[in-house]
Amino acid sequence: MKLIKCIIRPNKVDEVKDALAKLSIAGMTVTEVRGHGKQKGHTAIYRGKEYNVSLLPKMEIEIVVPDNMADDVVKAVVQAARTGEIGDGRVFVLPVLESYRIRTGEKES
Amino acid sequence: MAVTQPGPSGPAHVAALEAARSELQSDILRGVGGRPALERYSDRVDAMLRQLFAEVGGADHEVVVLALGGYGRRHLCLHSDIDLLILFGGRIDEEFLRAFLNPLWDLGVVIGHQVRELDEFSTLEADNPEFLLALLDARPVAGLRVLFERFRGVFHTASTHAYILKSLLELIDVRHAGFNATLYQLEPDVKEAPGALRDLTAARTIAMLTDPLLLRRGPADPARVDQAEDFLLRVRSSLHLSAGRNQNTLSHDAQERTAELLGYPGAEPRQRVERLMSDYFRHARTAHRSLAWARKGAPVPVGPNLGISRDGIRFLDPIQAARNPATWIGAFQAAIDADTAVSEEALSCVQQHVDRFRADDFFPDARDQSALLTLLKPKKGLYERLSEMHDCGLLGRVFPEFQAISWRVVRDFYHKYTVDEHTLLTIRNLERICTTEVPYRLRFRNILGEIDRPELLVLSLLLHDVGKWRDDDHAIESVRMAVEAVERLGLDADARETVLFLIRHHLRMSLVAFRRDTEDPDIVKEFSAFIGNEERLKMLTLMTLVDVEAVSPETLTTWKEELLWRLYVDTYNHLTQRYGDEVIERNQAGLSDLLKQRPDDLSVTEITRFLEGLPQRYLQLFARDVIYRHVRLARDIHPDEVHLSLERGDGSVWSLAVATLDKPFLFSNICGVLSSFGMNIIRGHALTNPNGLVLDVFQFTDDERFLELNRDGQEQLLHVLEEVVSGRGDVAARLRPREQGVLHARGAPRFPPVVRTDNQASGRYTILDIVATNALGLLYRISRVISKQGCDVDLVLIATEGEKAIDVFHITKGGSKLTEADQQALTSDLHRTLEGSL
Repeated sequence: MKLIKCIIRPNKVDEVKDALAKLSIAGMTVTEVRGHGKQKGHTAIYRGKEYNVSLLPKMEIEIVVPDNMADDVVKAVVQAARTGEIGDGRVFVLPVLESYRIRTGEKES
Repeated sequence: MAVTQPGPSGPAHVAALEAARSELQSDILRGVGGRPALERYSDRVDAMLRQLFAEVGGADHEVVVLALGGYGRRHLCLHSDIDLLILFGGRIDEEFLRAFLNPLWDLGVVIGHQVRELDEFSTLEADNPEFLLALLDARPVAGLRVLFERFRGVFHTASTHAYILKSLLELIDVRHAGFNATLYQLEPDVKEAPGALRDLTAARTIAMLTDPLLLRRGPADPARVDQAEDFLLRVRSSLHLSAGRNQNTLSHDAQERTAELLGYPGAEPRQRVERLMSDYFRHARTAHRSLAWARKGAPVPVGPNLGISRDGIRFLDPIQAARNPATWIGAFQAAIDADTAVSEEALSCVQQHVDRFRADDFFPDARDQSALLTLLKPKKGLYERLSEMHDCGLLGRVFPEFQAISWRVVRDFYHKYTVDEHTLLTIRNLERICTTEVPYRLRFRNILGEIDRPELLVLSLLLHDVGKWRDDDHAIESVRMAVEAVERLGLDADARETVLFLIRHHLRMSLVAFRRDTEDPDIVKEFSAFIGNEERLKMLTLMTLVDVEAVSPETLTTWKEELLWRLYVDTYNHLTQRYGDEVIERNQAGLSDLLKQRPDDLSVTEITRFLEGLPQRYLQLFARDVIYRHVRLARDIHPDEVHLSLERGDGSVWSLAVATLDKPFLFSNICGVLSSFGMNIIRGHALTNPNGLVLDVFQFTDDERFLELNRDGQEQLLHVLEEVVSGRGDVAARLRPREQGVLHARGAPRFPPVVRTDNQASGRYTILDIVATNALGLLYRISRVISKQGCDVDLVLIATEGEKAIDVFHITKGGSKLTEADQQALTSDLHRTLEGSL
């Protein structure tokens, strides 16, 4: 199993969700996060005064999928979340060692 | 009571009176001229009056003789007037009156008598509050008791009581002021002074009028209050006896005699006096505290038929309130003003009667309509009061549209409350922003403080979801319903448009902020074009914030707040800094309507020639009629001419429009002239079109009332403007006396001024942002520095928010943006000017 962690623009959540639904992926965790990558935020100006907006609002989507689906998921996310501009985000793929269902205590393979 | 010459007709009465007086005198001499003695004396006078009444055949008349005031309370002192009301059931019988009163005059007693027919009490004698107060103590002495009962029925109404209470509180203040409002007088008046007999009576009267058990809960045990009264009466009796007249001042001389009479121990008179006075102050303090307690507990009148008491705002006369629904909104406003609730009693009164009235009945005229809008100003307590109004059925009657969503359940995944409560919670959230100290919320609090008419935002919130009574697109339905509401409220066209815009588009900003890529300049540009001006932007930002927050406690995260704030800032910057790049073109959207509906005296060419090249923002800033006026103002203008129009807008705001061809120092000269007349410029726009036509529009307040106090003030102002703008007058010389005067002396700025230039925001202009402490002549000084630096002022936005002046200048030098060096020179000069060193 793989944990796929996507940091995307907030306005791209719906498109990514739709793209994942097409791969029949229904379970996911969506979190409001803040951060910056290379783009390092920028300085905004309000009434002549600068204020720093180094941490930008982003969305994080986490999905756990079987190993053989990981590539398709990554492709779908990248395609759906891309604008071509700086700040489109990142996708991380991590190995999942074990997974348990809390309700039953079953270990999932 | 002074006896002069006994009349021949009443030796029996003389004897009776003499006996009564002797008995009281001997009581006083024994030091016991207090309550029991005065009651006995009052009873004896009663008996004498009854006997006289019988002798003159009173029983044959429909009449009753009532004792009033102190005599009514059976506290008749030795030389007090005998206050009587002779009350006839039908017409006044003069013959009987003469027969009854003449012997009394012959006895030499001072009678304070009033004569009335019962019917006269059906209207309130508002001009004689002392008489009304005395009537509260009315007690039948002789005659038809049943007539007295009828009098009670007519006189003791809640509205009369409310009036008497209000008058009594005023009389107390006046009386106390006469004694410098202190009870610690060296020679006190034992009847009138603070802490003296009148205070005790007043405390009891207040309790009687509001809550008979009030004094039992007071700071002093009722027995102590009685003791205080008895003491004061004993002192008063002794003063009357010693002086032989109605003398109530316990002067130094009288203190010695009274101390002796009341049997105070001590070898020296001084010791006896000290003991007497120490007792006096102790009792006076009891009386004073009892009155203070009663006043605190009693409803204090706070408006027509409204009083504030411990349980909140009450109708002083619930019966009158039930008939006057237009006064109900006032109860809720009074509660907000006093930071209290509306009492259960008042809420029940409203609930009981609310169904009898229609929406219009609650605000029948323009004053009531504006009172309702005032109620909607966001303020602490507004949510609580609106909830009370909703619970007792008033809100749904005032706004039948709102009634439609009462307890309305809409099932979705995110809303946690019924639609009505969600709506009221949006208002609670807004109210909380007014006073928030949470650091990341202060920015929203600031923009709320900058909104001109925040009550329109609350009204929009109140109606934004009313369309949810149906299941389809609720924003459209909400607007349809709101149209009726805003018409009922008589809103002006601007306000009406704002409210309907906010309701129609209340979901738009959250959609853009949370679902669109706001880093895309086109999205911001499109949103700016949609929203049009900063005022609406501020309102919609706050509306979005509080609406999302009212969905459920989890819906609004600081993350979303940040997104919303950034959209606000980007849009605000776009609106204020980029509008110069978007100019009106021949085929501009919205232009055709303007041309089609033009008045007869304006041609298409004239309008388009005027508009072409002005920023598109101009069309959003001004209503159609105003634009037509501007076109006329700019008509046939010659290089040395200035066309001016001055008019008074809403309230205290004046509006000045200036059309002329561009010339050096134009903007600073106009600002200078306005300042030289003491005008406070609060908003303004300076616009230039490519033909060199300049249109400056200022809104200002006349804080020194120059225009109001001088009949030819407007002509004077316009004349000076013309002189100065056309180069014939010297504005610096006009301003100097003011600038040198102490009234307008510029202290250190309250906060460090912000001066910033930006060559990126606009394609054509250097943008100069200035935020500084507002002061007389500020704009004049700023714009003069800009002109002195050789820059042209092409566009200006002026805003004043509290003590802050927020100005955005679009400037060029020689037709281009400023170079780095020019920008530095300009900002450094501006800094020195704003800091007062230039």
